[in-house]
Amino acid sequence: MPDLDALKAEAKRLLDEGVVEMIIGFKAGDTPLHPQPAFFKTVEEIDRLVYNALCQNNLATYLTRFPKTQKIGMLVRGCENRSVNALVIEGQHPRDGLYLIGVPCEGIIDWRKIIEKTGEEVISVFEQSDNTVLVEAKSGYFTLEKDTLLHESCARCIHPNPISADIVIGELLPEGDPTLAREQVAAFADLSLQERHAWFRQEAERCIRCYACREACPMCYCEECFVDHVSPRWTESGTTPAGMQGWHIVRAFHQTGRCTSCGACERACPMDIKMTYLTEKLNQDMRQKYNFEAGMDTKTPPPFSTITLDDKSRFIV
Amino acid sequence: MSNEAHNPYLPIPMHVLHAYYESNDRSLKTLELSFDDPQDAREFFAAYNPGQFCLLSVIGKGESALGVASAAWEGDFVRFTIQKMGSVTTALHELKPGDPIGIRGPLGNGFPLEAWKGKNLVIIGGGCAFSTLYALTKHLHHPSNRGDYGKMTVIYGTRTSGLCMYKQDIAAWHQRDDMEVHQAIDVPEQDWLHHVGYVPDVVKEVKPSPVNSVAVVCGPPIMTKYTLPALVELGFTPETIFTSLEKRMKCGVGKCGRCNLGPKYICKDGPVFSLADLNDLPADL
Amino acid sequence: MNLILKKDDLNHQLNAWRQDYEVYAPQSLQNYTHFLPLQDGFELAFDVKAHNTRIPPKALFLPTSEALLKFTRFGGYEQIPSETSPRLIFGIRPCDAHAMTMLDTVFEQERYTDPHWQARRDATLLVGLGCHEPCQTGFCTTVGSGPFNHAGLDAILTDLGDIFLVETLTEKGEGLFSQLETATEEQSAQASVLQQAAAASMPIAFETEGLKEKLDQNFDNPYWEEISRSCLSCGVCTFLCPTCFCFDIVDEAQRGERVRNWDTCMFRTYSLEASGHNPRPSRVERTRQRLSHKYTYWVDQINQIGCTGCGRCVRYCPVGLDIRAMLRKAHQLPSEVAHV
Repeated sequence: MPDLDALKAEAKRLLDEGVVEMIIGFKAGDTPLHPQPAFFKTVEEIDRLVYNALCQNNLATYLTRFPKTQKIGMLVRGCENRSVNALVIEGQHPRDGLYLIGVPCEGIIDWRKIIEKTGEEVISVFEQSDNTVLVEAKSGYFTLEKDTLLHESCARCIHPNPISADIVIGELLPEGDPTLAREQVAAFADLSLQERHAWFRQEAERCIRCYACREACPMCYCEECFVDHVSPRWTESGTTPAGMQGWHIVRAFHQTGRCTSCGACERACPMDIKMTYLTEKLNQDMRQKYNFEAGMDTKTPPPFSTITLDDKSRFIV
Repeated sequence: MSNEAHNPYLPIPMHVLHAYYESNDRSLKTLELSFDDPQDAREFFAAYNPGQFCLLSVIGKGESALGVASAAWEGDFVRFTIQKMGSVTTALHELKPGDPIGIRGPLGNGFPLEAWKGKNLVIIGGGCAFSTLYALTKHLHHPSNRGDYGKMTVIYGTRTSGLCMYKQDIAAWHQRDDMEVHQAIDVPEQDWLHHVGYVPDVVKEVKPSPVNSVAVVCGPPIMTKYTLPALVELGFTPETIFTSLEKRMKCGVGKCGRCNLGPKYICKDGPVFSLADLNDLPADL
Repeated sequence: MNLILKKDDLNHQLNAWRQDYEVYAPQSLQNYTHFLPLQDGFELAFDVKAHNTRIPPKALFLPTSEALLKFTRFGGYEQIPSETSPRLIFGIRPCDAHAMTMLDTVFEQERYTDPHWQARRDATLLVGLGCHEPCQTGFCTTVGSGPFNHAGLDAILTDLGDIFLVETLTEKGEGLFSQLETATEEQSAQASVLQQAAAASMPIAFETEGLKEKLDQNFDNPYWEEISRSCLSCGVCTFLCPTCFCFDIVDEAQRGERVRNWDTCMFRTYSLEASGHNPRPSRVERTRQRLSHKYTYWVDQINQIGCTGCGRCVRYCPVGLDIRAMLRKAHQLPSEVAHV
């Protein structure tokens, strides 16, 4: 865990010296399992900054709400840093208008996995130094192994360190094992067509189309989403099989070469729908076919966003 | 069958009787619709009150809320003037005489004509929102209604003379001795004989008397916003100023939720509200 | 009348009802519980992961998507017949049942009654299960409901260990349990103590007195921007809310149907007009609409707060926003100074 005091000190310095006008971070939530994204504008407010393994949102999703001229500081973990980079490439904020306070990330705890073990009435959660979590719940005290609580996208994270932060608070962590990242994709690919379809249906049919996945995703910043377009209509509305297919498949495809594997979509889903098996497959294709990973720098645009007049494939130009 | 009669989502089958452009730029088109079933016509006209609206339904495209632009006495048809705006209104513009169409309505409250009896009426409209005021004026012109009301003053402004709707009728209104008509356009045009300027300014110029009068204002939000205070300045009390509101609607019957203004639904409790009503409601328009 | 249903006899009773009704009860689906029709060999799930099902049972009356009309070949419209087969929902929590009575005021009005809603309501019995251990994010007692509230229910069960005490609340409810033995006075008293203790164990989450006035009078206060700053503007809070009912109507040309889908005031497109004008362009106005609808507009309309305190919006908000905290904060808003 990074030193919270060091984080606060840096955040205060940035505001105090006028390096940034605002810092996007987290504050304690109203319930112990849900710290909230927060926007700090004064040095005094920084006292309320928190950072822990329950901070489940990708803060980069807020970046596109602010004017490009605003100097913004942001707490970034590995995935958030990559999301910011991807947004910079897409012209959503100039990199020099940002100050990234990097935090090497030990993974986000999935609060659902806590309540599975403790019951839903959780009173407090403490992360302990021996990689365990002490949970006080109405049903008693529980000491849980942190590794068993991690969100799936975090358990298979390859790049836990912020790769281009302006400052990093805390010790850098070893890189994750890329084969782990591919396990899920490989397991899915091994299924028969019928099985894959059944899996997709089983996940997608629970969707209520609340679009929490879209709103939680930093890369879903379109002013008008394709599902909201009226003329022409790109996909069926509602929760019919065609509607579900339209939403989930196209959502994933729009992330090709842009998804940074942060898993914010799954964490936001109120229906516990697995979706990253779709984006991870596309991410793997991008790695294998184009040697590209989204957000690894602020220069290289995603392969599908580049088109030149001498492109071999003439289907667009 | 009884269920069918009460299903508020089921459109009444109609077909297009006449379809013609209302403005020279073809942005406004009038449709006159007639009922497939005479029983539907009887029920419609028994319930209809000027100021009400209907949801016009184009299969595969959806529905669009439009104020009724005809008076019941004009015949067994219902008139709407449609501004081409989104996908449904575009589809409505493509309809030809004989084409089937569904409508739901009449919906909403309409103008409080009973309460207005004995009063002078100041009717102020702008743009295509004038359509329901046209229906109101036509309704009042009927000999059996005209005697119930005092002086009638109509102020109608459009951006250009070409956008003025119902031209023939309005030209005839100028000749009538039982009403005063003031037409306005935003910018001067050659051969224009009437006012030039924005509606709120024309209202100030015409200075309708608030004595025993009610004013009814229908127009684009910006016009309404400046006309209401102009009327208050002339001495109209909030209880005597009325306006018709618009918001995005879907169900039209107070269920789908979206057209609320505070605790009121524009579709069900409106669309006609007095300024006194609006003063008690949040400015959520 | 108070009756006794032995827990050992519950499955037998449910199977007996299945002869006459399609019986829905909470069952495990993925990591949560959901009201599903009982099949042979069913397993009930009451306190497994949550008190409440993830999706409120309003979905059994107002499905996420349903066809309202079919288009006919000749340019006309055909009604979709309303479902009228008898149903019984077993194990609905009082907050969710209470919400049904509020939704009735929307869908069953004198002038316009929603035929689908009414048919399903008329055909469905609600047997509630009171919450003897109220949930942490719930605040039913704060908003005028309670862990053993009777509103909307045909019967309510109180868990007394090996037995349920059954209180029948309507004639239809009585008919359901006509085979059972009567509870002793002692058992009724035991249930009553438990019910009161459950309600008493719930802290008051926020003061409701004067809340409506505060919200009404501060329509333009920066408060709304403050509480909505981290909101994602997704539909979680409203879709999982038992009293939210907004829907969209869309023509699905390929399927030849006019359908209605759940919609929410939290979406940008909800109030966006064809002209491009949007009365609620940002999260600020949309959050204001959501809270005001529940805490002021419903009060104006039916003299009840339009929230039954089920706590789903608190539990499942992806950014941890808590309506209870928002409303506590509302009390710090200024009161309107009387005009001189």
